Amino acid sequence: MSISRSFAWGEIKEHKFIYAIIIIVIGLTMTSFILENAYLNYMMQVVNDTTKTLTADAVITSSDCNIRDLYGTQPTIENAREIADRIERALPDYKTAIRVTAQATYGAGISSEAVDGCTIQGIDPDEDEKVTNIKDKIVEGRFFEEDDPILRGHTPLYIEVKGPGNLPDFTYGSGQRLFKYDKPYPIIVGATAAKIHPSIIKVGNVLNIFVSTSGRGTKYAAVTVKIIGLYESGTPTLDAMIWFMHADSLREIKGYGEIKGKEWHIPGVGTFRGFCPIDVDRNMGDTILVKAPEPLHQLDPIGQAEQVKETLASVVPGMKIFSWHDLLVYAAGSMQDVVTIMLWGSMGVTLFLCGAAIKYVMDSIVIRKTREIGSLKAFGARDRTIFKIFLYQGLFIGSLAGILGILISVLVMNIINWYGISVQFIAGTQLDIGFVVNWLTVLVALIIPILLSILAASLPAKKASMLPPVEALRKGEMSL
Amino acid sequence: MKNKKMPLIELKNVSKIYTQYGTEVVALDNVSLKIFSGEFVSIIGPSGSGKSTLLHCMGLLDRPTKGKVFIENKDTSKITGKEIAILRGKKIGFVFQNYNLIPRLTVMENVILPGLIVGEDKQKLADKALELLEEVGIKHRAQHKGVHLSGGEQQRVAIARALINDPIVVIADEPTGALDSESSREIMELLTRLNEERKVTIVFVSHDLDIARYGKRNILLKDGKIIRDSYESRLSEILKEASKTSKEVWG
Repeated sequence: MSISRSFAWGEIKEHKFIYAIIIIVIGLTMTSFILENAYLNYMMQVVNDTTKTLTADAVITSSDCNIRDLYGTQPTIENAREIADRIERALPDYKTAIRVTAQATYGAGISSEAVDGCTIQGIDPDEDEKVTNIKDKIVEGRFFEEDDPILRGHTPLYIEVKGPGNLPDFTYGSGQRLFKYDKPYPIIVGATAAKIHPSIIKVGNVLNIFVSTSGRGTKYAAVTVKIIGLYESGTPTLDAMIWFMHADSLREIKGYGEIKGKEWHIPGVGTFRGFCPIDVDRNMGDTILVKAPEPLHQLDPIGQAEQVKETLASVVPGMKIFSWHDLLVYAAGSMQDVVTIMLWGSMGVTLFLCGAAIKYVMDSIVIRKTREIGSLKAFGARDRTIFKIFLYQGLFIGSLAGILGILISVLVMNIINWYGISVQFIAGTQLDIGFVVNWLTVLVALIIPILLSILAASLPAKKASMLPPVEALRKGEMSL
Repeated sequence: MKNKKMPLIELKNVSKIYTQYGTEVVALDNVSLKIFSGEFVSIIGPSGSGKSTLLHCMGLLDRPTKGKVFIENKDTSKITGKEIAILRGKKIGFVFQNYNLIPRLTVMENVILPGLIVGEDKQKLADKALELLEEVGIKHRAQHKGVHLSGGEQQRVAIARALINDPIVVIADEPTGALDSESSREIMELLTRLNEERKVTIVFVSHDLDIARYGKRNILLKDGKIIRDSYESRLSEILKEASKTSKEVWG
């Protein structure tokens, strides 16, 4: 061991009590940093499985869309395809997928189970794979296939509800059903909805639903759907609420395209029309989901979400852009942000104080060991050697603190994972995911205390190295 | 083999001036002297005469304000601080009044410390240290901490430490200043023996006349100037002269 290192180690042993306190405090601070980051990773897993089902990394809507509209009442974007293409041209690493959305009601006319509502997200299977990949979340049944009856033409009943009240039944007057078709639209439903309505929601079941065709209005289309698959995102709330249909099917239902056919009016009921398969306009949609490139690290997912929004805003000014974080805050409030800020803030303050403590201890060492430093210089020690004695102390303290923080974190995470303590996400998630920490977090948890300690030691180190040997020999006291 | 006529240390017109509270203090005033191999030199003088300053300049602990210091004919005014430190570590051994042992190190570790600083092999240093400790009569305490030794024992350790790098000269600043008379005598006899038997060149400062007598060459300083530089053992004459010129000397 070099003279500087051995002297540095000797100083640490001589002041072991005070340095032990500093090391423990820094170590525990790093523990909280690592665990916070593990929690962030945990939350991101939750977010990836849940909120991002609706938003991917960012969702683009028309300028008059509010965040609450993200659940199916977004105003139409007439040129959604153009916008999506513009984004992919300007940002080649970004992937887009257009969605058509609507709110729907089901269970009407079935006496055994209550009427319930859902949000239908119309997806393009190929596009969606790049962005959110619902296909991987299928737990029963299947995903959309090429020969599914996406566009069929039908005779929906468009009803304008004039006031509050019950939705009409599908059979009126003479009992004649107003629409007949033998190929219902394929639809994928959340597994939780199946648990809530076991008689209605099953793979293979055909049911009638009312689809709201106006953004915030009261126009409905009654259509028939067939459940082809059940999916699980991990959040029961979302699984109960979100259904997936092919985007073109929903375009047809909402009339996004050239509508052909006949219109007729039933007094007291409403105006409706039936049409043959329409030429759906694929340029039209309700939202554009965007997936950004994978970030290098997960230390600041919220910051990264904001960065994505800013990047997209520069490409599509005039549109509204929401991130998964905006939806999370809307749903859960800003408490998570506040907690994160508080943790980072307290970590910063603690580290600053520990750095100050290290500097103070080393300053006192320089004063007490002035004559010793003078002796070392008399024996031929160079200024650099004296400087390195103190820097090495900083290095040892920082390393020990970082390693201690990492070890405690690993221990805590193993205990959490072993006991299977699940953390409740605000939406009631009970995901089977553990606390994990990535290598970058560990590296940062090691580097921060080392840099802090070396920085804190550098001023006393400089002071000690600059001591003229004669003055040092005259001053100071040896603690013999 | 060293040229006996080549001085180990030479000071040429060395002056050292400090500025203290805005006032210039001349600690050394145009001092020139040579130290040759094998000499046992005492530097004596009243308080404030510049003894320690002279020692520090000789030992390269301080740079003179004017003049030059040569170590084995090498002009030290032309070299960097880093080279000075290396030269000091390899060529000069120091013995301090307060021993200056590192408290948390053992006797052995203290002795080999200067050797480690200049990059010598630890095992070789350890072997050499044992020899030196035996020579100074303290080998049996090699593994003890310095704090556990008496003052005389600590100074013996310091002398062994000063010799570990085979310096050309050992510089001792008041080596007996913190010791009782008995221990002082033992230390001076040790230094004398080292000078006579090992031909170690020693330059020491002392305000104690009884201690100064051990020197075979006596240099008298006053007000930063060399008043007398005598190879002859006429310390009493020197002291008479000193007492003529400064009545407060050695009351």
